[in-house]
This record gives sequence, C-alpha cells and structure tokens, in this order.
Amino acid sequence: MTTATAIEWKLFADLAEHAGTRTVTLEIDPETDTVGDALDALLEDQPDLAERVLDGGELRSQINVLRNGADVRSQEDGLETQLEDGDELALFPPVSGG
Amino acid sequence: MYVLGVTDSGAGDAPLERAADMIVDRLSRAGRVGVLRYDATIADGTADLRASGLTPGGDVTYALGADGDWSATGTERSIEDVLESLALECSYAVVVGHELPSYPSVVVGDRRDDDLSDSVITAVQNPGELDIEAVVSDLEATEPYETLDSLVAQIKRSPAAERAGAIATFTGRVRAKDDEDDPRTKYLEFEKYEGVADERMAALEAELEAREGVYGVLLYHRTGIVADGDDIVHVVVLAGHRTEAFRTVEDGINRLKDEVPLFKKEITVDDEFWVHESSE
Repeated sequence: MTTATAIEWKLFADLAEHAGTRTVTLEIDPETDTVGDALDALLEDQPDLAERVLDGGELRSQINVLRNGADVRSQEDGLETQLEDGDELALFPPVSGG
Repeated sequence: MYVLGVTDSGAGDAPLERAADMIVDRLSRAGRVGVLRYDATIADGTADLRASGLTPGGDVTYALGADGDWSATGTERSIEDVLESLALECSYAVVVGHELPSYPSVVVGDRRDDDLSDSVITAVQNPGELDIEAVVSDLEATEPYETLDSLVAQIKRSPAAERAGAIATFTGRVRAKDDEDDPRTKYLEFEKYEGVADERMAALEAELEAREGVYGVLLYHRTGIVADGDDIVHVVVLAGHRTEAFRTVEDGINRLKDEVPLFKKEITVDDEFWVHESSE
C-alpha cells in the first residue's frame, strides 16, 4: 500500500524570481518517486523556471540540487536519488558569497 | 554579540525602562551585557562630570575606580561606534530608546501590529506581557553582530591561544567600482540558504581547525543589505606559525565562496543583477 506524502522545494536567487515563489510543496509517492520526479513535477507548472534551469531537456550543470543539505550529484545518486517523506529539496544557481 | 533594540511606542519612560531591565537581567545570566541608552538631550558630553565638580578638559574622559568600575563621557560617538566597542567584550547589546531598523527589537506601547517592521520580535502594551524566554530565543535566532576586531578578540580568548604565535585574517568588503569607468555599486544584497549555509560554514571551520598547527578558525558572513564600503565577510585564523595561518585563511575564504549557499545581488546606480548571472 502506498500513501502520498509531501516534500518541499526551496528556490533561491533568480530561480525564486523566475518561479515567483521561494517554496513549493509537492505530494510524492515515497515508494517510487525520485528527485528527478520531484523536479519534473516542480517544472511542470513553472515554464519560466524550466527554461532557466533546463538545456535541451537536461538540468544545466551549473544548477545545484540539494536533498536535506546534501548535493545529489556528488553525495547521492543524482536525479535517481530516492525520495523520503518530509525531504527538503533545494534548487539554486552557482553560489556567490563573499 | 546579539543586538536588541527596546523602543517606546507610546508607553512612556517608566514602562520602557522596566522592560529593558527585565531583558537585561535575563541576558546577564547568559553573558556580559552592554546597554546603550539613547538620550537626545545629552548635548555636551562632558557636562555630567563638570556638574560633579570635575573639570575634565578632554574630548573623552574616563573616571576610574580602584576595582575597575568606571564612568565615561565624551563627544562624537554614534550608535554604530558604541556597538563596535561593545562587541569586543559583550555577548549582548541592548539599545534603549532609539529605533534600529536593521536590528531585532522589542516595542513597548500600544502601536498597532500592522505598523511594525519585520525586525520587531515582539510588541507588547506593557512590560508585564513580555515573554522573556521567547524574546531571548528569537534574539539568538537572528544574525549576530561581529566585526573583524570582535572576532580577533574572541579568538584570542581561546584556551589554545597560548600556543598560537600567529593570527591571520581576511576581510571581504563592498567595492564601489572594479574599473574606473564602472557605474558605482550602491550596495550588495545577500540571500542565505538558512540552516544549510550555517552547517556548511561550521563544517568548514571544523575541517580547517583539524589541520596541524591551526588552533582556531572563525568564519563570518553578513546577509541582507551590505552598503558600499562595508565589510561582508571575515575569516580569522589562530595558528602556531604564519605559514599555516596564511594558507588556512586563503583556503577558508576560497572554500567559503565555493561551497556555502549564499547568493549575491549587486545594485549599482544604473542596474541590478545577480552576480552569478554575469559569470555563467
């Protein structure tokens, strides 16, 4: 039996401006859904944001995706990373502190 | 050092003082507290001492007691100047009677809630309504006030300082122009990934402190609006010798800029843009 549960996307810098919001909550199925599925669901309703972060349907290499603070590319299984209930996902451009 | 304003919104002097006293008493149990009382009627800084029979004759006058107690008067000090000096030795500063839009504050009086700015932690009709514990935890969730000097003072108090023959620092600040012909930068605005940025800075500090001969590392980065000429970021390293001090300062600022989720928007006289967009 599967139950729908929720994850939250946090958007930063110009990505939040493209989306017109800083946070988006999505229902997911933790049995099957991956970070990539959550990204598709986020971008489905956000054409401006999709154009900003995708290049030929692929996520641009400069755009960072974090799951609960961990970089999904270098520390997890990339967009194939399995989601868990209550995950916090973050999407942001290259960092520019200092 | 955490800075808290306590301001009057129609309550009058006595309730304002009582609220400030309650807050200062509570903070004093957690650390050294500096109190700045703003009083626009102070017109001649040395008048107080003259009234008590002294003729100080200086622009800054300290009266010192045998056990280290003191009082002082003087001229030409701003609120910012006082905060800078309090930050060297205090964990908290309470500013009574003057609005500080860029710092958290407690408002005492009956002004309606919808008039209040975002930096107001709580607004109460009278001091009896104050939830002091909530004020303290909200205050400690705000960004602390630090300067290069306060961070150096802090690292010198470290127990490991007796083995350290070197302190190296880096300060990043807002430059108005890169080239002579550039439009002037008015300010930068930094957005932070709350939680994750702090975790990464703490992990970076711990990693650098684990190096041989490095005894302490402090990383500090401001968020929000930082004006032209103001400091943005400090890296302070306490080390046995200069070589590891210099190397660790350089690695610290480079890794902070590469790894910590902070985002910089630049506002010039002509334009505004996210800085990462100009380099992608």
